[in-house]
Amino acid sequence: MSEPERTTIEIGDGAAIPRAEDRGLVSAWWLALIGAATLLVVLPWIKPDPYLTILRFVPDGVVITFKVTVLSISLAIFIGLVTGLGRISRNRFINLIASLYVEVVRGIPLLVQLFYIYYALGRLVRVPDLVAAVIAMAFCYGAYMGEVFRAGIQSIDYGQSEAAQSLGFNPRQTMTYVVLPQAWRTILPPVGNEFIALLKDTSLVSILAVSDILRRGREYASESFNYFETYTMIALIYLVITLILSKLISLMEYRLSYYDRR
Amino acid sequence: MNNVKNPFHLYLEPTGDVKKKLASLFFDFVLVLTCVSFTFFLRVFLGDGRWKNKHHNLCCGEAMSKTLFAAVSLFLLTLCGAVYAETTIVFATDATWPPMEFVNDQKQVVGFSIDFMTAAGREAGFKPVFKNTAWDGIFSGLASGKYDAVVSSVSITKERKRVMDFSEPYYTVRQALIVNKASQATSLADLKGRKVGGQIGTTGYFAIKAADGVEAKSYDEVGLAMEDLNVDRIAAVVCDDPVAANYALDKYKDRLKIVAVIESGEAENYGVAVNKGNSETLALINRGIAAVKAKGIDRELKEKWIGQ
Repeated sequence: MSEPERTTIEIGDGAAIPRAEDRGLVSAWWLALIGAATLLVVLPWIKPDPYLTILRFVPDGVVITFKVTVLSISLAIFIGLVTGLGRISRNRFINLIASLYVEVVRGIPLLVQLFYIYYALGRLVRVPDLVAAVIAMAFCYGAYMGEVFRAGIQSIDYGQSEAAQSLGFNPRQTMTYVVLPQAWRTILPPVGNEFIALLKDTSLVSILAVSDILRRGREYASESFNYFETYTMIALIYLVITLILSKLISLMEYRLSYYDRR
Repeated sequence: MNNVKNPFHLYLEPTGDVKKKLASLFFDFVLVLTCVSFTFFLRVFLGDGRWKNKHHNLCCGEAMSKTLFAAVSLFLLTLCGAVYAETTIVFATDATWPPMEFVNDQKQVVGFSIDFMTAAGREAGFKPVFKNTAWDGIFSGLASGKYDAVVSSVSITKERKRVMDFSEPYYTVRQALIVNKASQATSLADLKGRKVGGQIGTTGYFAIKAADGVEAKSYDEVGLAMEDLNVDRIAAVVCDDPVAANYALDKYKDRLKIVAVIESGEAENYGVAVNKGNSETLALINRGIAAVKAKGIDRELKEKWIGQ
């Protein structure tokens, strides 16, 4: 008699999705950062003629890019908080205004809005270009932020609000002392991602003649005709900045997820 | 091909590299032969299907082969038409520079340079095709072969000559300073510490950068700079004088004025830019420009587009 055929089931480690703490995952980020940073150092060192000149030309653009990004994100977070609260408001009028703002802004391409706000604002009030650019960016990103805030607030279990109210908190107190502090934990990582997205989108303000990284690079390229070299350097600068920022954000995310990991 | 005067024009006038044209003729001939033999192959082996069972015949019978034959002949005819057409030169132009080149209300690219090159094409026997291209990067597109030449009010400068070849000059301009009607400034020197705008990569912008103490601000299009000047975000704009006249005397005539021609700058000449070493195209364009100038067409065009 022959042995009955046996089926063997192979048992692996069952890791369908690698975990965030997995050391092997870090390599992509490290590879990109080290690659970009090395190129940023090595290229000007080997061929200083175009590359070093470009690196010398661009830094004030980096400052402007950061200025626009930080100012717009602060303003956008504020607008986003107001919009997010407005979107979950029981007051129909406030709710309608907030929803209308979000719908309109999300339906128009960022570039078109930038042009529109920049030149429309110019006709109405006298504002410097940087301020106009910041207002335009904040206006656009405020709507995206509003949705992030709304989602964050709605992610807090309704039982929390009920518990607070049963302890005699009024709706405003419930929001400020119970819901928002918990919602921050959910909101912060996407806000960080929006920050990076905003930083990249500030390259759009170069069309408004704001001298950011891209505009500085284009000015250099249009004079020297070194288009390839210039855009290589600009891409690398953006890449290094966003890689570092994204690492900071994932670190922040890691620390904020302490209670989930426990 | 509506304005073909002489169908054999290309082969009668040895304007360019004869060898290249012979090679392309030979290539066309081979292509024709291939097409003809392919058609015959279809007719004989697939068309009547005598060598195969009727049911397995994929290409079904006489009708199909006739259609195929007709299609291939049509293709060959168009091919022959293309072979005998005039040389086409594709020009890139940034149509945001009125009155030299701009898009009119019928969405056509028009202007002095456009008319000039069309006339030059008529004289020298090439068909100009104008491709509206953004100014910033227009020269990199030339280098990568997206078009044959750039006719976009390009002033001939030493720096540009290093990387590309220029035709004979076809128009002469100076840099003009435009300010708001209320402004007291009469030269760039009066604008120390203020922002002055120009289009990126233009000689006007370079003039601003060369001036001491003036903050240079570059725009993608000169029209955007004019609008920023109109709303007082910047103190002045520097650009070529025909363009300055178009904005300050026409579009914004209530708000802006031309105060000066930049003192340091000598006269600049517009030329058509081609890639380094593209002598064939350059010769054709130069011949056109010379003929247009000799016939006095340029004066008519100047009157038509620029006036004064």
